Amino acid sequence: MQRDSVRLAVRPAENSRFWRWIDKNKAGYLFILPALLIYAIFFIKPFITSIYYTLTRWNGYDPVKKFVGLENYVHLFHDPMVWLSLSHNLIWIAIGTLAPIVIGLPLALLLTRVRHGRLFFQTAYFLPYVLSGVLVGVIWGWIYNPIFGLLNYVLNSIGLSALARGWLGDPHLALYAVLVAAVWGYFGFCVVIFMAGLQNINYDLIEAAKIDGANALQQFVYVIIPQLRNVLNMIIVYNLIGGFNVFDIVRIMTVGGPANHTEMIATYTFTTSFTQNNIGYGTTLSMVMTVLSLIVSYFYITLRDRQAVDE
Amino acid sequence: MSAAGQTSAINASKEPRVRRLSMSFLQYLVLTIAAVLALAPLVLMWSSAFKSKAEIAVNPLAFPESLNLTNLVEAWTTGRYSTYALNSVIVTLPTVAGVVALSTLAGYALARLDFWGRRVFFYVLLLGLMVPFQSFMIPLYFDLQSYGILNTYLAVILPGIALGLPFGVYLMQAFFRGLPSEISDSARVDGCNEFQVFWHIILPLTAPGVSSLTIFQMLWTWNAFLMPLIYLNTDALRTLPLGLMFFQSRYTSDYGLISAGVLITSLPVIVVYLLLQRRFLLGLTAGALKG
Repeated sequence: MQRDSVRLAVRPAENSRFWRWIDKNKAGYLFILPALLIYAIFFIKPFITSIYYTLTRWNGYDPVKKFVGLENYVHLFHDPMVWLSLSHNLIWIAIGTLAPIVIGLPLALLLTRVRHGRLFFQTAYFLPYVLSGVLVGVIWGWIYNPIFGLLNYVLNSIGLSALARGWLGDPHLALYAVLVAAVWGYFGFCVVIFMAGLQNINYDLIEAAKIDGANALQQFVYVIIPQLRNVLNMIIVYNLIGGFNVFDIVRIMTVGGPANHTEMIATYTFTTSFTQNNIGYGTTLSMVMTVLSLIVSYFYITLRDRQAVDE
Repeated sequence: MSAAGQTSAINASKEPRVRRLSMSFLQYLVLTIAAVLALAPLVLMWSSAFKSKAEIAVNPLAFPESLNLTNLVEAWTTGRYSTYALNSVIVTLPTVAGVVALSTLAGYALARLDFWGRRVFFYVLLLGLMVPFQSFMIPLYFDLQSYGILNTYLAVILPGIALGLPFGVYLMQAFFRGLPSEISDSARVDGCNEFQVFWHIILPLTAPGVSSLTIFQMLWTWNAFLMPLIYLNTDALRTLPLGLMFFQSRYTSDYGLISAGVLITSLPVIVVYLLLQRRFLLGLTAGALKG
């Protein structure tokens, strides 16, 4: 620091006319310009163009995009695949949010109580979270493989061969089988976040509840849960947004099958746009994800602001 | 942390010793089972990479009889994993460098400089935090085509930077807000121009923020799937996740080779994670509490 200020004390004299003209106000534009340029070209422009695309019918290579007004949106509401996909997304969100919380919160509570190995356990639980959706999908694709798979091998060797099956080929099970893989990849994230939340809760309140005769369950429900409100909100919002956009793991494990039983709005968008080359309608489908994500974010922000006022 | 320790100590002293020991045994048992379930799928897959086809078919749970490197060598050479790994590096390094550099500059301006339209810029960037890549991936495909960079590394590097900026700028501006403004003001009084203030005074203080951003951006870029799937359509350009996907469909039931692919794809991420685990967990924790 000392050396810096000495060196700086010499510098200012060298300031060119340009740098003297750039004051604190104008410098802001200069600093923000590179980010803004990339962001405008590769995010804002296509984002706005996508609204125009939804009003057209286009196969991606014809020179003309045929303007069809709101036809794509009308089709959207009458397309059974949209509602089927969205129902899968809703199941995904419900289970994909609840399961990691139900698994992660007790583990986090246990971790705050033990004296040794806290970092080891946290590191182990969080490890699947750093793997890509493709890796999680390929690993669990192997576990579920009807012939070579680990799950059927284990079931056969403990005498439960009756339960062994082609897990991802079973229309009633496929979605839940993929969900199990996703929860495996995600629960450690919840453990770490809950640990952080638990470190900040007020333990005097628990002591007070104990003195008032609250049992462990009551302490948990009435004292600990309310203090984890922020953390729970965050996990729920992440899952709501992520759950409407889920793509990687489903694409790898089932490609939406068997017979559309794991089709998601994102996988349906992908096949419509890039396999069937139905660009106008594909973009309209992606708009469903955009709108849902914006609604969820809006609620999250208002919720957070109201809490900030409360506190 | 210490409060938790104290409470459990208080609890413990009230309970009989035997019950306390069996309780703590149960606690560790549950924690250990969960750890085994978390680690087993990856560990078993890694061990399969060293097995012959016959060994895998017989017992997927057994450890390999000998360290057989055939699968790994075949995946790396004929399976073209050397190309995929190189592509991942070529794509990840500039993307991360771009996100970190541009986010630091923009985050600093949004947090500490006054200029007209600052709030508008901030909200436009926040929009990017709320909408998914799917919201603009289709028009961007045709934009990239018309710029002539579809099916080149740039087709995932430049959009990758744009996609990383909202989080990066948000994180960095929150970080800069936390720094005291007196030092930069005194440098201004000494006659430093705005870039010198940033370069000599502010930048040396940004290491913690920059390292968190670097780690998370590296992970996201390395693991990215949808963007390279759409914008890179040549095998010679594929990154590791894409390579693994096509590899899996090419060698459907050759789990020795697929395991080798999993090992090669996951090893760099796991090594970086284990080396920087504290920073991973702490970075996330800080984000969670602010969030």
